[in-house]
Amino acid sequence: MDDFYRKLADILDVPEVKPAAVLGDFTEWDSLSVLSVIAMLDSDYGINLHATELWEFKTAQDLYDRVVERSGKRS
Amino acid sequence: MKGDTASPMEMPDRRILVTGAASGIGRSTAVLLSRLGAKVACADIDQAGIDETMGLLQGPGHTPWQFDFKNIHAVGDWLAALAGSFGALHGFVHAAGIPAPVPLKALSIEKWREVFLVNTEAALALAKAFPGRRVYAGESGSIVFISSVMAQVGSPAAIAYSLSKAALDGVMRSLALEFAPRKIRVNCVAPGFVRTPMFQRVERLWTEEQRARVEALHPLGLGQPEDVANAVAFLLADSARWITGSVLVVDGGYTAQ
Repeated sequence: MDDFYRKLADILDVPEVKPAAVLGDFTEWDSLSVLSVIAMLDSDYGINLHATELWEFKTAQDLYDRVVERSGKRS
Repeated sequence: MKGDTASPMEMPDRRILVTGAASGIGRSTAVLLSRLGAKVACADIDQAGIDETMGLLQGPGHTPWQFDFKNIHAVGDWLAALAGSFGALHGFVHAAGIPAPVPLKALSIEKWREVFLVNTEAALALAKAFPGRRVYAGESGSIVFISSVMAQVGSPAAIAYSLSKAALDGVMRSLALEFAPRKIRVNCVAPGFVRTPMFQRVERLWTEEQRARVEALHPLGLGQPEDVANAVAFLLADSARWITGSVLVVDGGYTAQ
């Protein structure tokens, strides 16, 4: 789980991301970051998400829950 | 005139290798070449896709060859084996390619090398082996690389793809000069966004608004694989016998702006 949030923090260029953090509050949460998250989920978790799905997640936890649901494991 | 045909795009009994023939531009090219009378060797990593393409080809004498173009050191021997079995080649089309719609900050060195390997280095390895006497038929030689408008214009998250396709354009020009004495022409076709399985993989990364914006960049709308195949066939055939070292842009007007 820490691994997922660390990777998300790297993409958003912040020291850390807490589960309750609202994605839309990050200045770096833009279309390039969304693409970066999609690429990270694809390469590291084998999950293919659509951009439209990603924009619908409110918090980092919401996104993480989907990753767990789709990958069937906690990172 | 030798080989008189009704149209200079007809290629009776020419033997052409098409890589990436399992889908998209490669498949459409293979189908069109078969309709123009060529014998086509269909190569791809995707055996099921090749089999499907084979069923769409017109006339006899075509052959499927499964190959992973990441296996770069084996390309020379593989091409010689193919020509030994299928017959010496008059040309090839490198349509095999992988996309990498990843922003630079999420792009690993391994990923951009993988893209470069399949899109660019595999094309170069094929070209290196092509003029060999066991491979090349010795006449009417024509090589076509599928480049991209991304070699000429930029787009966010297209770094690796641009790297691979711009290099391909450069390689093509020098190859055209090296191979001219052997009467082997070398050209690129540079498509805009074309409705292919690769496009569908990229399309999922866009919101509806972004997709509409990309479509609007093409004054003639998004392309179909057949639009690109037509240009490839033109360059392979005698219709382009005085054309070498060129990039033929087929993009519905994308780069005219």
